[in-house]
Amino acid sequence: MYRILVYIGAALLLLGAFAFGVSLWEGPTAWHTDVRTFWGIPISLFVLWIGLAHAGTLISAIFLALGYPLGRRTSMVAELSTLCSLAVAALFPLVHLGIIENFYMVVPFLDARGNFSNLRSPLVWDFCCISVYGLVSLLFFATHLFSEKFPDLKKLIRPMAWLLFPLVLWVHTIVSLDFAVTFVPQWRGAFFPLYFIAGAIYSGLALVIILLTAEHCRVRVLEKLMLGLSWFMAFFWLWEFLLKGSFSFEVVFLGAVVPQLMWLRVIRENAFGRLLVAFSVLVSLGLERYILVTPSEYNAAEYFSWTDLGLVSFSLGLFTTLFFVFRAKFSSLLEGEDVVMGEIVLQQDESDKESEKVSLPEKNDFSILRLPLLLGVLVTLLYVVWAISVENTNLAPLSVVNVVPLCLPLLVLVASFTLCARPLWGISGKRVKVVCAVLAGILGCLAGAFWAGGSSDVPSGAVSVQEIDSTKTAEFIWSSRCAGCHGQDGKFNEKFVREFYPLPQKLTPVRLDTLGEDSLVKVILDGRVNMNPYRGRVSEDEARGLVRYMRHLAGEGE
Amino acid sequence: MDAILNALCCLMALGTSMFLWRRPVSIFKETGILALSLVVFGLFSYLTMDLAEPTLEYMPFRMLALCICFSTTSLTSHKTRYLVLSQVLWLWVEFFGGLTFVYHGLDMPWTRIVAIGAGAFGGAFLSHISREMEFLLMVYWIAVWMFF
Repeated sequence: MYRILVYIGAALLLLGAFAFGVSLWEGPTAWHTDVRTFWGIPISLFVLWIGLAHAGTLISAIFLALGYPLGRRTSMVAELSTLCSLAVAALFPLVHLGIIENFYMVVPFLDARGNFSNLRSPLVWDFCCISVYGLVSLLFFATHLFSEKFPDLKKLIRPMAWLLFPLVLWVHTIVSLDFAVTFVPQWRGAFFPLYFIAGAIYSGLALVIILLTAEHCRVRVLEKLMLGLSWFMAFFWLWEFLLKGSFSFEVVFLGAVVPQLMWLRVIRENAFGRLLVAFSVLVSLGLERYILVTPSEYNAAEYFSWTDLGLVSFSLGLFTTLFFVFRAKFSSLLEGEDVVMGEIVLQQDESDKESEKVSLPEKNDFSILRLPLLLGVLVTLLYVVWAISVENTNLAPLSVVNVVPLCLPLLVLVASFTLCARPLWGISGKRVKVVCAVLAGILGCLAGAFWAGGSSDVPSGAVSVQEIDSTKTAEFIWSSRCAGCHGQDGKFNEKFVREFYPLPQKLTPVRLDTLGEDSLVKVILDGRVNMNPYRGRVSEDEARGLVRYMRHLAGEGE
Repeated sequence: MDAILNALCCLMALGTSMFLWRRPVSIFKETGILALSLVVFGLFSYLTMDLAEPTLEYMPFRMLALCICFSTTSLTSHKTRYLVLSQVLWLWVEFFGGLTFVYHGLDMPWTRIVAIGAGAFGGAFLSHISREMEFLLMVYWIAVWMFF
């Protein structure tokens, strides 16, 4: 069974691999975009797969934290689906970048020369929150997986679930803010955090139901929850209609009407019936994410190119292959020859496990979590104090609102690693310890490199002194090439600063004098950390003219 | 939004909360009541308020959060835990809703957020919740809704 599913996944992956390659090669022209649709299929797929990645934590952690744990197989399947979905989702922002070699620009690194990640941008919050979610989910999965072999780890599962419970909701809230804080009318929505969370959980439940059906088992409570959530989603779509007049028949039919078929015994008791409904929900949510991400006045889906479809196929294929390869092969390696992941204690019907209670007393959770939480709070406080007090000429002023979104992920990251470090270190072999130490060293070096940034020394050599005199020409080039980020008046394009990363430089006379004209010409032509090179698009004389114009703008600002 | 509409919102949230968590508790019944409450809150907001006003775009969800807060007072077990969680949900709705407003040039409703946060924090220390305390909590939430 797993082999067939792996073959299906590999076929989809191969079908989409070419589209993926073309997208990386050509950039955003490869998929459908237009004047209004600047976020195309890659971001739609990113949002969809990030949403699907929430199923694992919902099913395993939230249920466990609230005292209603599910069977081990269900939990492990859900947690594994989280990790695989995250791996798929992580690829699409890179595709969306268009300039794959600048992939590091999605990382909010610091720089000794004053380049600073834009903590006002939800995209930076996004990256941090999803990274933390991935790491903590991996830790939770590993703890859960090895807890059968090492009973000491069992006492960590529920405290970890309490840490993940708010994190999973927080992460998707932050994803929703990518949209909600913008000025695009269709993305107007103070209710987006709840809307996205509900959509993520809904699609995640559908995915887990499909995966459990492939395992020849079912969990009724998840089916009931999916049906209940369909009513909530129906309301969200109604509210979107009342508020903005946007409505999609296909989305509502597949996402809110078809799931009601679960009321029929003949559908819910039949594996194909359940698959039909779950697939219908996934298609509906996929379509909904695409419509949301591409706010066109026409039906953008009609203009799908083969690349768009190829990327969809690639994501499905990659997930299926990753999930079932891991499920069929590596799990037995992890737990011994005779068993498959999650089947050590599974001898009874999953559907009867809904009411199973954990043996750990609740008060234990807090006593185990107390110290890690305290440490997490301290580190978070330090971060808040540092972020608000840091003085940097390139930094737009930060307020509490800009800093709070990263607080919980930071707290959870510190607390979960503090919680698990000692027990996991204790059960690890020598080889694993050495690998961990080396990895920590590499991470430290990378952090240092990011902090230091690259060299900006100007090489010695002849520099053309030919100049262009016309301020008008420089102003024209500025408007067409530079104003998009730096602003028409050199004081940032406010929309860019609010919505996107990285933060452009502030043009002050002091800064311009410090850097010098030759150095700035070089930056324009050859690029620097976050600025793309303009050589070939701007001549050296034009670059020099632009530097003079920058001085002129900075002088006006004084 | 005027005081009468605010009072009506509280009344509706209080009214719908009465149907929640009544025994026997079932997933279908509770999710159904919550979804139906949302529809009622949504239609109420649509019919009585000017939805062009940005601060009203999450009104039904604020009302739902208030409704869930009210409903926790009728729980028979784990009352403190769910009391705190429900207020955290309300805080969540208000904070992130307010954050989107900040990016659109409006002010963050800090007083309301601090008041709800204080309620959630204080609630965590309640070891026993008497009838009188339930009443006081409900009055507190209504006051937060009406005045902040």
